[in-house]
Amino acid sequence: MSGPRVFVVDDHAMVRAGVRAELGADVTFVGEAPDVPTAIEGIRATLPDVVLLDVHLPGGGGRAVLETLRAELPEVRWLALSVSDAAEDVIAVIRAGAKGYVTKTISGPDLLDAVRRVADGDVVFSPRLAGFVLDAFAAGAPAAPAEEEATDPGLDLLSAREREVMQLLARGYTYREIGQRLFISVKTVESHASNVLRKLQLSNRNELTRWAATNRLL
Amino acid sequence: MDPLIVRVAFAVLATTGIGVVIYGLLWLTMPVAAPGEEPAPGRVELGPGTGRRQLLILVALGIAASVAIGKIIQTGGALLLPLILVAAGLAVVWRQLDADRTLSVPGVRWALAGGVVLAAGGVVLLLATTGQLANARNGFAATLVILIGVVLVTAPIWRRLLDSRGEERAARIRSEERAAVAAHLHDSVLQTLALIQRHADDQQAVSRLARGQERELRAWLYDPKVVREGGTWAGLVAGMVADVEADHALIVDPVVVGDAPVDEELAALGAATREALVNAAKHSGATAADLYTEVTPERVAVFVRDRGKGFDPATVPDDRRGLRDSVTGRLTRLGGTADVRSAPGEGTEVELVLPRSAA
Repeated sequence: MSGPRVFVVDDHAMVRAGVRAELGADVTFVGEAPDVPTAIEGIRATLPDVVLLDVHLPGGGGRAVLETLRAELPEVRWLALSVSDAAEDVIAVIRAGAKGYVTKTISGPDLLDAVRRVADGDVVFSPRLAGFVLDAFAAGAPAAPAEEEATDPGLDLLSAREREVMQLLARGYTYREIGQRLFISVKTVESHASNVLRKLQLSNRNELTRWAATNRLL
Repeated sequence: MDPLIVRVAFAVLATTGIGVVIYGLLWLTMPVAAPGEEPAPGRVELGPGTGRRQLLILVALGIAASVAIGKIIQTGGALLLPLILVAAGLAVVWRQLDADRTLSVPGVRWALAGGVVLAAGGVVLLLATTGQLANARNGFAATLVILIGVVLVTAPIWRRLLDSRGEERAARIRSEERAAVAAHLHDSVLQTLALIQRHADDQQAVSRLARGQERELRAWLYDPKVVREGGTWAGLVAGMVADVEADHALIVDPVVVGDAPVDEELAALGAATREALVNAAKHSGATAADLYTEVTPERVAVFVRDRGKGFDPATVPDDRRGLRDSVTGRLTRLGGTADVRSAPGEGTEVELVLPRSAA
């Protein structure tokens, strides 16, 4: 067994078993948990590279786990897993610090790819998450009034390149294909994606929460 | 029976006095038809809680009242006005309290208040004309005190009654909701599960059934009403994807950014998009396609991408006109563009762009 050390948090035993079976020999499973308290305890004890975190969990949701442990264990990376949750919940988990999210219907190879990517410190955008970003950061939409502490106004806008990358992601392109299409390296595509995720996490644009409240992400 | 005939007949009868009584009785005893409901012909049912004996008593009372009114009219006209006032006030109050109207509508409350004032005015006038006003005042004060006492003593009972009524209502709403959910799940999920069991060896059919059911359930649980009801581009796309997935072995992941009401041009773009999806399903060999569409003030763009076997656009024979006619042709007529990027082994991407004339 090799590869990144993975911890699975999901309240359905079937999902946990399915994930284990699909990732199989390519990663090292260090543990699993069905609810928030066991997850916090288990992750503290095992210090995994990647936590696959269900958005909906008994006892506060994936967000509760993330918020408890994020400051304490900055080296652990988080990937949200979700079935059909409201966009609000998925966005909340991402804003709490997850590096991306995948659906539970994702194919085995794609899931493995996502886990590896997150383990390497990159972010995972599904076409739908990219669509959400484009919608929430639409050019004409009003930004939140910056009355509180001076936030970086750049956080509320996507650069032209970032927008291009998001559009290609929404069209179903892989990072490699985007690099070829835009004549940039895969690393550059990854850094654009990371920047966008950071904006998604830090921006206090009203649109984000409003959009998430009225739409679903899956 | 034509309601008009009934009304005219009662108006004629009312001049003799007996019509008023009959009308009042019928009003009390007939069940109220729900709006829009056709009354069953030849079937007269008494309202709940109205026994035959009660009815007889009411008939006797009514006849006595009409006789008394006749006497009063004969003896002295002075009492007529106050009596009419009281009757009118009562009629207004009854009319408002009847037929389950809610008190929250302001018009109903004002009508009720008006009726009460009218009836009270009638009573005062009646007492004044008969010279009983002073006596009545004393009696009224005593009655008021007793009434207040009774209300105060029984207050907890009233409260409990109100509470239990609220609880009952909540329970009823809950059970109705549960029944609606159960009905929906039965019609959709259980049926699909049965179908899946029957097609257990056909993997493609199973996954198509599961996929279609998943979409339906999700739409039912989460989709905003607008998308469900259609009329906008996002709704059109969602419906179209569901159709294509049902007819072909293709899984489509639609991502829609922005939205707009569907006009003729958008409907045409939708048809072209469907054609592109069907093409991907038929010719690409891929099992999944990505659909991305973006609505901006200037244009609507659609991208359909598959990772199938692809083709060389230069070598498409002239008789294979599906893409060229129904996609490219349609878009060009509307002032848009259609672009097909493909190479053998690389999959295909169809890009449709329609400028928005309204902008």
